Amino acid sequence: MMLEATTRKMIRMAVNGQNRDIEVLPNELLGDVLRERLGLTGTKIGCEAGECGACTVLINGKPILSCLTLAIECEGKEILTIEGIGDAAKEELHPLQKAFVEHYGVQCGFCTPAMILTAKAFLEKNPTPNEDEIREAINGVICRCTGYMQIVESILAAAEEMKGTVHE
Amino acid sequence: MSKEEFRFIGKSIPPRELFDKVTGRFRYVGDRSAELYGKILRSPFPHARIKHIDTSKVEKLSGVEAVLTHKDVPPRKLPRRDQRACYILEDHVRFVGDEVAAVAARTRAIAEEALDLFEVEYEVLPAVFDPEEATKPEAPQLYPGGNVYGPQFGMIVEKGLNEPVIMEWGDIEEGFKEADVVVEDKVEVKPQIHSPIETHICIARWRGDELTLWTATQSPYEARMSIAYALGMPEGKVRVIYGAIGGGFGSKYIERYQPIAALLSKKAGGKSTKIVLTREEELCHAGRAGAKIRVKLGVKKDGTITAIYLKGFFNLGGYGNIIGGCGRFGEESPALAYKYQNARFEGWDVHTNHITSQPCRGVALPTLTFAMENVIDQAAERLNMDPVEFRLINLPETDTLMPLKPHKNPIYPRAELDAYPAQQILREVAEKIDWERFKGYQHPLAVEGPKSRGLGIAASQGWGGFCTGGFINETVIINNDGSVHILSGHTDLGTGSNTTLRQIAAEALGIPIEDVTIATGDTIIGHFDMIGARGSRSMTTAGHLILVAIEQAKNRIRQIAAPLLEVEPEQIDVREKKAYVKGEERRAIFLKELLTSTVKCTVGGDPRDWLLIKGTMWPLVAPGKKTRNPVIAASEVEVDMETGEVKPLRIVTGNCPGRMINPTIVRGQYIGAVAMTLGMALWEEFKYDEKNSVYEHASLTDYKVPRALDVPPIENVIIEEVFERPLDVGGPYGARGAGELAGLGIVASIANAIRNATGVRVRRTPMTAEKVLEALKGERQGEK
Repeated sequence: MMLEATTRKMIRMAVNGQNRDIEVLPNELLGDVLRERLGLTGTKIGCEAGECGACTVLINGKPILSCLTLAIECEGKEILTIEGIGDAAKEELHPLQKAFVEHYGVQCGFCTPAMILTAKAFLEKNPTPNEDEIREAINGVICRCTGYMQIVESILAAAEEMKGTVHE
Repeated sequence: MSKEEFRFIGKSIPPRELFDKVTGRFRYVGDRSAELYGKILRSPFPHARIKHIDTSKVEKLSGVEAVLTHKDVPPRKLPRRDQRACYILEDHVRFVGDEVAAVAARTRAIAEEALDLFEVEYEVLPAVFDPEEATKPEAPQLYPGGNVYGPQFGMIVEKGLNEPVIMEWGDIEEGFKEADVVVEDKVEVKPQIHSPIETHICIARWRGDELTLWTATQSPYEARMSIAYALGMPEGKVRVIYGAIGGGFGSKYIERYQPIAALLSKKAGGKSTKIVLTREEELCHAGRAGAKIRVKLGVKKDGTITAIYLKGFFNLGGYGNIIGGCGRFGEESPALAYKYQNARFEGWDVHTNHITSQPCRGVALPTLTFAMENVIDQAAERLNMDPVEFRLINLPETDTLMPLKPHKNPIYPRAELDAYPAQQILREVAEKIDWERFKGYQHPLAVEGPKSRGLGIAASQGWGGFCTGGFINETVIINNDGSVHILSGHTDLGTGSNTTLRQIAAEALGIPIEDVTIATGDTIIGHFDMIGARGSRSMTTAGHLILVAIEQAKNRIRQIAAPLLEVEPEQIDVREKKAYVKGEERRAIFLKELLTSTVKCTVGGDPRDWLLIKGTMWPLVAPGKKTRNPVIAASEVEVDMETGEVKPLRIVTGNCPGRMINPTIVRGQYIGAVAMTLGMALWEEFKYDEKNSVYEHASLTDYKVPRALDVPPIENVIIEEVFERPLDVGGPYGARGAGELAGLGIVASIANAIRNATGVRVRRTPMTAEKVLEALKGERQGEK
């Protein structure tokens, strides 16, 4: 059943560093709000069941499945999507983005935003990871194209590049 | 030409579109909004007739703008290359999930609600699920002409010939008489679901009598042709926009949901209508053909293979055809893996009430290789020969005339293998995986508590991904500033083919790669591609034709430049944005001085060449030479003898890509194919409860595609071997396809490794813990 408009609630989220006031329905999912209301289509929807990981965004720095998260729960939180890292307009890439290009951690690209965001949150906790730790970190995001090796290599290269520096 | 002399060939140049992919700016079909949302009502029965559909309640629901049933569709079938021709909707449903009706509404929630309001009366029919059972005359019939989709099929015409596809040479009776050891065994393979992360998706919209379809497809011109035919409209009025695809693997061709979206849109006054399959629909509508295969192999004491007889039943489900089943045996590929003296391959492609078969990365070859290597290993064991040594005796090499005796069916050319370093690849793969650790078939590498380790090896071969015939159009436009536009009919699935094609053109013209742009992704450019991104062919076929077009464009420029340079046209070369006298580069004229605007050449294969008429898709690469790719795979596994769980520890795969255009892309293709077929080998389990008509694998929790921790390090042995030929002859710069080739031997090598670790053969995929335990139990009870 469609919910009545009166049940809408105004929430404020900081999306990619910008405060956004959005009126949401109680059952509206964060992934849909990001994609359909804010036009941030870099976040992908692959299964709507929290299984493929393609919808991963960072909420207060932690990777969260936006297809299972109600937008209404994000009141007052910081949301980071793929559009919020690097500066695409200036052609400036985050070291992770750069490494995914250089080491070919991308094929069809559908899981890429989730992979990069997941890796970003992970490298902040563990800046000098080994291969197994990286695999564990990205285990929740399915890539059907690459067989993961070039993704792992990309993340290793980015970790090396980011050593001792702070990147937003 | 040695590798060092190339500027762009052999260089790992990152695809240009990766910038957009890593920044989230790459726009997939799902990133577009549409006015209406379409949903499909699917059959709850595996086999039924629709006696009556009442849509009155659906139509009354507020927000519903179009409803479609079998009564509303044109009486013309959709011609399809990978699935059987079918009506857009029909009153006969053939599997659980088959399309029954459809609705378009203003929101997805309304469309979903509407699905519950259809009232359908079914006459449930008896169903058949086993492809071998389904060949019997008493089995339930899915089609008037029978369940077997014979070899003489057409895209439109139904020909249930009840005959197998046969590939045969020599005399197997004689061959088996000569044999000292005969091994006979069978394997069973379950369907594998492609599972791209982007599910099938399209948006249809009409403006007047013109239809635009945004869709994720591997074969846009086939979609255009097929929809135009079924809707009875000119092809030029159907525009397919297909620039971004979130994974295909053989799943994304023309399917019913696309013309359904078109008809819903039409009924709704042309409003854009989006259909996105849910993950459940994605997992329960089509997949790699399941199969049951028996193989009988005869060998002499010295290891020579005297005869092979393979009989396979491939499960086409409701609507597959032989391309998704035996696939005409991948143009004889499994038969050419070894020097079989006498052979008969018999493939039965059979309709059942299962999901539809569609080609999936390697089509039937991973399955066939599993069936064959299972007996190859047993034969070698019976002869007490090392698995590597046995294969070395029987592998063909470059210049081996294959098959050993002429085909009885002339559609398969008999020719020498071109650049085929199979034995060298096998030796190097064996070395890389430290094969000397192998202590014998019955002796695991190591046993520690309940864990036992084993090694397995497998050989196969696949098509080279090269189509001389073409069936694809390529245009090369040389601008007067020397830069180049390519208009191409091919489809880049995310495999980087746009980039490799730009590298090929930049190399041939001696210009910076930044000066080469490529236009593809929209049928409005009219560069027909007969079969789409299939068979690892995009780069090879399009690349070959781009080189032919470049050669023609150069000839035009030579004609224009000859009088000015005061030489004959043949004395002129065109490179680096200028025309110059060969050997005297200073006698040159820049294109900007020579050309008023552009020189443009278009080439394309003769559409009459295409596979199904002429009979062979991969013809000779040069007179008397055929391109095939040798494939070797080796695996090391650890099996928990108590739980049956198999953990792959290492995989080494060996391939010959001819010459690599872009090594990083080639490696990415090889690794990706290994991971996908590893999923087929071990974890991805299609489960259908025949009694209750329910799929039990309908989520990515139940259907386990490999995740990062599942996939072990994958190592590659890559041997480049190239025959020098003129640029416009053969694969571009000697390159071959890569997409499917590394995955062909994975299932087989894992099975052989499990045998080495446990002492038992697992003959059914996926080789889950459950099946391994069952095999162990069978062995303990004295079964073999």
